[in-house]
Amino acid sequence: MRIAGEATLQAPLEAVWDALLDPAVLVRTIPGCERLETVGENSYTMTVTVGVAAIRGTYAGACTITDLHPRESLKLKAEGAGAPGTIAADVDVRFSANDDGTTTLHYDAETVVGGMIGGVGQRMLSSVSRRLAGEFFLAIEKVLMGGPVPAAEAPAAEPPAAGVFTAPAKAAPVSSQREFLTGVAVGAGLVALGVALGAVAGRRR
Amino acid sequence: MTTKLMGEKVRRVEDARLLRGEGRYVDDLAPGALEVAVLRSPHAHARIKGIDVDPVLDVEGVVAVYTYDDLSGPMAEPLPLLIPHPALTHGRTQYALAKDEVNYAGEAVAMVVAESRYVAEDAVALIRVDYEVLPPVVGIDAARRGERLVHEDVPGNVAARLEQGSGDAEAAIAAAPHRLSLDLTVERSASTPMEGRGTVARWDPDTKRLLVWSSTQTSTGVRAAVATKLGLGLGQVDVITPDVGGGFGVKIMHPWPEELLVPMAAMALGRPVKFTEDRREHFISSAHERGQVQHVDVGFDEDGRLLGLSVEFWHDNGAYTPYGLIVPIITSTQLLGPYKPRAYKVVFESLYTNTVIVTPYRGAGRPQGVYAMERTMDAIAAYLGKDRTEVRSVNFIQPDEFPYDHGMTFQDGRPLIYDSGDYPASLEKLKALVGWDEFESFRQEARGEGRRVGIGLACYVEGTGVGPYEGAHINVETTGKVKVAIGLTTQGQGHQTAFAQIVADELGVPFEDVEVTSGDTRRMPYAVGTFASRAAVMSGSAVALAARQTRTKALRIAAEALEAAEDDLEIVDGQIRVKGAPGTGIALGTVAVLSNPLRYAFDEASKLATQFVVGDPTKPPVAEDDEPGLEGKDFYSPERSTFANGMHAVIVETDPETAEIKILKYAVVHDCGNLINPMIVEGQIHGGVAQGVGGALYERMAYDANGQLLNASFMDFLMPYATEVPESIDIDHLETPSPLNPLGLKGAGEAGVIPSAAVFASAIEDAEGIPVRAMPISPSELFELRRTHQHEADQHEEQS
Repeated sequence: MRIAGEATLQAPLEAVWDALLDPAVLVRTIPGCERLETVGENSYTMTVTVGVAAIRGTYAGACTITDLHPRESLKLKAEGAGAPGTIAADVDVRFSANDDGTTTLHYDAETVVGGMIGGVGQRMLSSVSRRLAGEFFLAIEKVLMGGPVPAAEAPAAEPPAAGVFTAPAKAAPVSSQREFLTGVAVGAGLVALGVALGAVAGRRR
Repeated sequence: MTTKLMGEKVRRVEDARLLRGEGRYVDDLAPGALEVAVLRSPHAHARIKGIDVDPVLDVEGVVAVYTYDDLSGPMAEPLPLLIPHPALTHGRTQYALAKDEVNYAGEAVAMVVAESRYVAEDAVALIRVDYEVLPPVVGIDAARRGERLVHEDVPGNVAARLEQGSGDAEAAIAAAPHRLSLDLTVERSASTPMEGRGTVARWDPDTKRLLVWSSTQTSTGVRAAVATKLGLGLGQVDVITPDVGGGFGVKIMHPWPEELLVPMAAMALGRPVKFTEDRREHFISSAHERGQVQHVDVGFDEDGRLLGLSVEFWHDNGAYTPYGLIVPIITSTQLLGPYKPRAYKVVFESLYTNTVIVTPYRGAGRPQGVYAMERTMDAIAAYLGKDRTEVRSVNFIQPDEFPYDHGMTFQDGRPLIYDSGDYPASLEKLKALVGWDEFESFRQEARGEGRRVGIGLACYVEGTGVGPYEGAHINVETTGKVKVAIGLTTQGQGHQTAFAQIVADELGVPFEDVEVTSGDTRRMPYAVGTFASRAAVMSGSAVALAARQTRTKALRIAAEALEAAEDDLEIVDGQIRVKGAPGTGIALGTVAVLSNPLRYAFDEASKLATQFVVGDPTKPPVAEDDEPGLEGKDFYSPERSTFANGMHAVIVETDPETAEIKILKYAVVHDCGNLINPMIVEGQIHGGVAQGVGGALYERMAYDANGQLLNASFMDFLMPYATEVPESIDIDHLETPSPLNPLGLKGAGEAGVIPSAAVFASAIEDAEGIPVRAMPISPSELFELRRTHQHEADQHEEQS
């Protein structure tokens, strides 16, 4: 199924870009994201726990970025699997600066949902996706405005290794263009992923 | 005199128990057994690159976990292809647990055995499978295009191609004064019984015997499959089918992976093991049916007489073909219905798709065939401007033409020869029952009120009671109680009642004294199964034959005891007496005592049978050609199927605004030969019509392009409620006995559902004046159909 949407953030492109490309920020702002890790060139793994109502599930995911056009657009392929099912998403992300100094981010995901969520959750996906995407962008905005970001429940037991981002994390300095892109890709992927998984959780009793 | 029970509306003896919740289904058995949960593929098509079960083993309460690598011997081979056919050139079956590749979302990949289902499910969630997702083939169009393949080694996704016919249909069509072509589609649906699949197994390591309870339509089939796959002798395995909460065809498919894996685990672990399918599993891992795309070419004369009929159809068999070509063969042969086209040709392709397997569901290919033929009949009537009943009439096989040989081969490999029927009489009854001739005035009246109504009819012939055989064993106990065992299973058909009626009549015993056991291989190891509307015909005939045998033996023993000629005796209410001389005879139970000479006495009755009391001291206590006990055992094996028939008519009202479809009247004329119990037959028809309403107006399997079933729950899969089923169904019976079996029976189990898609299409088309070529039809589809039709009409107007 296709999940498309856009979000306008109350900040200029540069600021959105900086915040959005910071994996350490993303790990705190993406609903349910606990950990993401660089595992190779343009290739990342992540852990998301999403729960709606009575059901929480932890999902292991991976994503790969292609077609990089810095500050304009990119494509990513994300996959995740957990007990309630699997999801694969191909996401196009575009950025545009608006005249009033705000920034609009467009995302367009083609997703394949399998397992239990495929059978019982699909028709709920688009509405739940909008809600989860909304939560995500609201959290990003809070970061941009310097407000508090809701922290994850517990810090990682061991100090994270290089390239591993866990929540909550201190805003790590943005070290390279690559890491910026990592953040964007994983963030967008997780939105699609978290969205779908959230939908599942919402429907399962 | 004992009242004859054959043909009487005897109340079902099983209902009190079932309605009080005293039924015992597989899941009620073996409390405390280990329970399994199955990991199923989330992908419609994928290669399995690795399975990591390590995290599972640490879970407390997990006893075992199995993947393909844990299977050995015959268990590691593909599951059986149950019904091979020469045309099935590319038959494929799955493994009990997937090996290397999965071909539908829901295919079993791994199984966890644990102390409880909760633990098992939690453990299944920890299994990590590394899949390489492959592009799936979903839907008949994609399968036909063959750009992607379900099985790499099956070109064009074609499992089978079969052509049959008689005469040169194409030449006949070319030469016919009128010709029409129709393109038709029918959606998928499924049996959806209340109780899903379920299996319990108990291995006795001391006696090396396996006892299996399964919710199946064939205990003997499951028994043979289990023994073969687990390398056991048939004598080591018994299969019992307890109460079954509905089958409707899906449970004749066997062995299911779990039916083998559960006994395998029970043997390995030395503890009883249970599998209970949940509803979602039933949607994605049991079988579906119905999906076909059809093309009809027909040539006919001015009266609508079929001069040539050529049908080509494409049958979606899902990912594998364990049940062979039964469904499309039935479509291709039963399509003919009560008609006799001068020349007929049918060709089908059975195609693989990455979806759940397709095996018979109540009707088993007939609903699709009847739909194709009846749509054609309506199209001819519309083309010629004739009444739809007239076009059918001119094509009917006439009563004096039986036995009627179509020159084709039926699903049982036997010639397609109809044994009896009276189709013109059936049609007359139907017209009277539904008020066919009065309908036009009703339509005018309704039109005056701004209402839109339509009437439709559909005729079918159903080959029932296919062989090869069924048997019955009857034992009269010394108490006079009669114990009957039949081999096939029962899942709500009222077998205990109907077969007790037959025994009561044939043996002359009180109905209450007869007890019928079914589906227990310990009691009747030779049987085929309950499908194809065959139980009444097959087991009913066998029961009658076995009862006659028992009666013969009883009369022989009684004649000796009473010093009378056998011919002078009769059995009334369990007493054998000289005809017309009440009070002179002996009880059947006493005859049972006499039939079994004993050394040991246990009670007053058996004292009468000890060796100092009975028998001629100069002869062996049991004669050379005799056996102890008052028993009868016989098998019925028919030359070929017997053909029941019927006709349905429905009056519908379609809402001019919302396109809601409402049933105003539903009428059924039904001919299943002699009736054993009209109440049970009517119950079968009611149930069938209800299921047919679902298939015609509500149910479909909503697969997305990725092969994910989107409506795998009763929240999303629409089944008719009592509110959607017609409040009353008018039924009239015609009884043309079958000459093929001792009681003149024909099957009745599937009849109610067979013409549903056809009859609703006919009525909706009549109400709307728009050709209906795809079923089922929902209000939104009808709404869309109206818009398309209006659009086309507007365009046509613009052009002219």
